[in-house]
Amino acid sequence: MSTWPFVVLGVVVVTILVARKLRDPWPKFLLPLSVACAFLALWHISCEIKSYEVVQQDGSRRLVEVFPTPWQAWEGSKKALLDGTLLRYAVASVYRVAVGFVVAALLAIPLGLWAGWYVRGFQAINPLIQGLRPISPLAWIALAILWFGVKDASAIFLIALASFFPIVTGTMTAVRTIPVVYVRSAKNFGLGGLELFRRVVLPACMPQILISLRMALGIAWMVIVAAEMIAVDSGLGYVINDGRNASNYAIVCGAMVTIGLIGVGLDLLMRSFENMDEVRWGFPKVRP
Amino acid sequence: MSRASSTSTAQRPVAVSAPAAPKIVIRGVTRIFQRKDDELRVLDDIHLDVAPGEFVCLLGPSGCGKSTLLNIVGGFDAPDAGTVLVDGQSVDGPSPRRIFVFQEYGIFPWASVWDNIALGLRGRTKAEQHEIVTRYIELVGLQGFERAYPAELSGGMRQRVAVARALAVSPDVIFMDEPFGALDSLTRLSMRSEILRIWQQEKMTILFVTHDVDEALQLADRIVVMSPRPGRIREIVAIDSPHPRDIGSTEYGRTKNHLYELLGVSHAV
Repeated sequence: MSTWPFVVLGVVVVTILVARKLRDPWPKFLLPLSVACAFLALWHISCEIKSYEVVQQDGSRRLVEVFPTPWQAWEGSKKALLDGTLLRYAVASVYRVAVGFVVAALLAIPLGLWAGWYVRGFQAINPLIQGLRPISPLAWIALAILWFGVKDASAIFLIALASFFPIVTGTMTAVRTIPVVYVRSAKNFGLGGLELFRRVVLPACMPQILISLRMALGIAWMVIVAAEMIAVDSGLGYVINDGRNASNYAIVCGAMVTIGLIGVGLDLLMRSFENMDEVRWGFPKVRP
Repeated sequence: MSRASSTSTAQRPVAVSAPAAPKIVIRGVTRIFQRKDDELRVLDDIHLDVAPGEFVCLLGPSGCGKSTLLNIVGGFDAPDAGTVLVDGQSVDGPSPRRIFVFQEYGIFPWASVWDNIALGLRGRTKAEQHEIVTRYIELVGLQGFERAYPAELSGGMRQRVAVARALAVSPDVIFMDEPFGALDSLTRLSMRSEILRIWQQEKMTILFVTHDVDEALQLADRIVVMSPRPGRIREIVAIDSPHPRDIGSTEYGRTKNHLYELLGVSHAV
């Protein structure tokens, strides 16, 4: 067993103990970095625990490694990263998720606003929506292929489907919980119809809609692996499915890490909208 | 404080009439809330006339129906019996002629101070909007905060925005439902003198709901004391002394004691 992961773990523990006493902005970068290093060390240790030696027929010993260590994952993904394939696949995946997510938002927000505003509309469609919501996108694969063929459109459909339900549910709840005093004020000043919607209902719901969009984008990005199981020939999900079939677990790990990093980026992007003047009021200040 | 005259009214609508053609006429208004197995008579046969330009406070403990009465007069709720007339017309919904100022959160947090105050001015030209909004921002003393959002303002400043937004449409009547209830006591005091100054300048009719005896005494021409379950008018107390009122006078103390008696609570603690 190698000793370096334990050295890293020791350093991490000391760093965390010291960083707790330091003032900002030091621990802000130090702490997450330490935790990431500890994660890599534990990953490495768990790989070594699970690997074992076999005595071959000629008497020589061979080490059987079940799962790639972080270093092996890096080595195995390096080529794909450097020659641009990984980047191209990442772009392909982000494109599919972006299209599916935007289509879902364009359908779900108006539907949610309508069903949230009209009690009868809510009563009519909410049970169906809540009934369809828990069905995994995996279950829809067959139907997706039937409708859209073995094409990009199928993957996009699955992503749109997965992000549709959180957005429509969040938007409906947002409209249904608008404080009555906003609507009364608006009507008092003579607002009605579309103007009431544009100037009061929509802005009042915006923070909650934004939260549901953020959740939905997280889910959409998570679904990419399932969506690209349909025989598309590009994308990070494709890399994972293909790597699994070829027992190339190093590239599987590389794609997983890439998905994780892009996911962090997408979440940061969505959160940056929370600082806009029109919605900032809906996000209570978080303890620093 | 010169004199406080009382009229016992609950059963005699004629006695509540104010002189001249009344701005608001409330006749036999009754409101019943249905509950699971019984019904709650929130308002029971309310009669009240309010003169143009009059400042009337509805005073009573929580649950006496004063907010419900305000909602009915404002057009947000309908009575189960009785009628409400404003300028001789029966009220069938809210109108920009009669603006509500709510206790809190009535202004829109997603819009700047300027856009909030301009809410009722959508039909006007840009130049008119600019002139009106500027005037009322000055009137309530919010110069320099035009671009600020409500979350950046103190509670008192937010209520100033609500008042300016109401005034911007030049309403005949302003309804205020415990507008200063969420403010600290010092801010509340200064907001009271602000609203009196504005009322004397703009000469609109104000119907003001409060459960604060001092607030009613400092502001109102007449105080309508209400009692709960069922919500009824207990007595209407006219306050004849001019503003600014001396809150240290014996007359003030006597009226205050009388109001506490009507409310059924002991003044001395």
